Amino acid sequence: MQETAGASTIANMIAGKKPGYESEFVRFDQMKAMVIDDMGAMRHALRSQLEWMGINTVKSVSNAEEALRQLELTQFDLILCDYNLNRSSSGQHFLEFLRIQHLISAKTVFVMVTAEAEYAYVANAVEFAPDDYILKPCPEKKLRTRLERLFDRRNFLMPALLAMDAQQYDQVVSECDRLMTLVDNERWKMAALRLKAEAQHALHDEANMLKTYEQALALNNNAPWVKIGFARAQRMRGDLDAAERTAQEIIAQHPSYVAAFELLGEIRKARNDQAGAYEMIERASAILPSARRFRVSSESAFLLGKLDEAKRYAESAIQLSSGSITESKEDYLSLAQIQTDVGEPEEAIRTLEWHARRFGEQGEFGVARNAILAQAYHDTGDTDKAKRLLERALRVMPQDSRSETLNHVGKAALKLGDEITGLKLMTQAVQGSDDRQRIARHVAKSMRDTGRQDKVADVIDAGQKRILALVDEAQKLMRSAQFAEAYAKLQEALTIHDENIEALLAAAQLHLLWLKQQGWDAEIDARAKAYLATLDKLVPQNEKVMAFYRFYDQISEA
Amino acid sequence: MDQSLAALVIHDLKNSLALLEAELEILARQPNIPDEAHKAHQRCADLKQRLVGFLTLYKQEQGALQPNRSETELAEFLEDVLAASPSANCKHGHALDVRIDSARIRCAPEVQHRGTALLDEYLVELALESALNNALRFAASKVQLWFEQTADAVSFCVQDDGPGLSHHPAGMPPSTGVGLALCRAVIEAHGGGEVTLRDAPQGGALFRLTLHCA
Repeated sequence: MQETAGASTIANMIAGKKPGYESEFVRFDQMKAMVIDDMGAMRHALRSQLEWMGINTVKSVSNAEEALRQLELTQFDLILCDYNLNRSSSGQHFLEFLRIQHLISAKTVFVMVTAEAEYAYVANAVEFAPDDYILKPCPEKKLRTRLERLFDRRNFLMPALLAMDAQQYDQVVSECDRLMTLVDNERWKMAALRLKAEAQHALHDEANMLKTYEQALALNNNAPWVKIGFARAQRMRGDLDAAERTAQEIIAQHPSYVAAFELLGEIRKARNDQAGAYEMIERASAILPSARRFRVSSESAFLLGKLDEAKRYAESAIQLSSGSITESKEDYLSLAQIQTDVGEPEEAIRTLEWHARRFGEQGEFGVARNAILAQAYHDTGDTDKAKRLLERALRVMPQDSRSETLNHVGKAALKLGDEITGLKLMTQAVQGSDDRQRIARHVAKSMRDTGRQDKVADVIDAGQKRILALVDEAQKLMRSAQFAEAYAKLQEALTIHDENIEALLAAAQLHLLWLKQQGWDAEIDARAKAYLATLDKLVPQNEKVMAFYRFYDQISEA
Repeated sequence: MDQSLAALVIHDLKNSLALLEAELEILARQPNIPDEAHKAHQRCADLKQRLVGFLTLYKQEQGALQPNRSETELAEFLEDVLAASPSANCKHGHALDVRIDSARIRCAPEVQHRGTALLDEYLVELALESALNNALRFAASKVQLWFEQTADAVSFCVQDDGPGLSHHPAGMPPSTGVGLALCRAVIEAHGGGEVTLRDAPQGGALFRLTLHCA
């Protein structure tokens, strides 16, 4: 091990660790590891190598489903995952899934094992990067060197990672600031900045997040994750032009960086350039196909009226995810709705009654399923069956149905001639949505398809334009810390429609910032709680609302 | 045989060799194993290494060698190269002192990101591995590795304390030629540079691979 010791001294010399920070000895014997590889021989080889290092607990599994079951039982320190898991899913899909669903701890080190031919394809292309890539076969000594380095960094970041797992985001930020002062090592500083920005994102603290990325850019402007983070923060701050410039710079340097195309898609959507957005989304799907990207492409094409393309993408999403962890029954609803709209009602019926039969007809899924079936049967001329299905959907539809469901049922009602119910549901879909722009496009399409284009403006606007303008003004005031003025605007918006989600979200955010920046105040605290409670009732499990709750807990503890 | 089929066969061979190498490593780790197991593991690793080298040269000839650069921490990278070298540390049973010579690492003051560069680690490692294996064959007692960095280039050096180029013992060819061809391919993929192998002033042979990377 002499040369390892020598090299870390060099790393210290070049990058500089301050004497205040001492690396801990990496203890492999205490660790729990999991190896995911579909080839038995490779699995065995990796497992042996880990055991030679002294890791006593090594689970090895052959696919993502088994890996998920293991993750429910054990928190692993290390996951070694083969890139090529099976024909339909890759290690990259699996990692994206784990990160998006928050299924692994911030402390878990995830290493992707790739063959050389794949490496060129996967490295640098994606946002959800693993902690490291290793090329197989990797001699034990080299694997050990790499793992020692990764765990050395993890141990350094540990206080912040623990706070991250506990969702104590304020503490993550302060720990990262403290850790930054302990080292001069650029890579470790960057890792701390990355965590800090993630925590600020969870806190919706966009202004400071932008500053963190600026700090990271000053250290190193080559890493694509810094630039994409910077661009995203610019977009969140509403500076679309700057965000677009940054995203274009990334693409010029890394032409296959998927996240940059996805961000450009979002920017164009925000500018209401839907065709341009679709183009970007298609490019992202082409670079790194995944069920999630196919879903986005399908919806985008659907809303643009490109139904054949929408159908192709919806079918691809089902094909790619069928039987895997990323499977979603909503895919069958989307496909069936497209098939109905494109004039293939028999196909739609087969999709829902045959291919999706294993999902049953319980809950909201069943409501939406029956509403789409009602449309399809109506188109085949079986109006009695269509009517029965619509009645069943309306009878069991939950009070707090999602906007997507309301739109499916509303469209069925309009198609079958029940204009009053249809328009009521459509209005409800738009007003109750926390993603208004998107839902409004769905609703507008449903209304055009059923010959109600003359009512689109009434349903969608229903006071919305004024509300949105007020919310927009309030947000500007909020950014410049004019809280009372912002509150007045939001109150006005809420008198137009007291359950408007966007106005309520803005009001909650305003009061949280108010409390944080100007200290505790009984009245503001009470109002903040009331807004949060209303939101919790209207949009249960909403990610933003949950984040607000966490933020609130942190302020009230402080 | 058409080209895509040939490529498929070669990749399949390479993957099978990789598995065989892994299995032989497990075997060689068992207690009380005959020396042949270690030799078989070593031979398999060498064979795979050669196949990978040929594949890389073939790709370059076809104009298909696309570099995949990422930001590389140079000291860590050398550490990896050393750890990956299967024959480091032993020669006919004697221990060789193979190490990174931190005293010779140089970074010019105008270098913006000291100690890091944009490299295709996989390709550069291939080139350095062949240089390192060569040095290990001729070294008497030690092999040293280091890097030197200027504003627009990075050089990797491998020096042994063997007889030097002009005094190669009879029967030992100086280099396979594939190693140097590989270095040139790697240089081309990185947009220029040079490779030299010459007698070191202090004795022994000095290999130097310079890559221009702005």
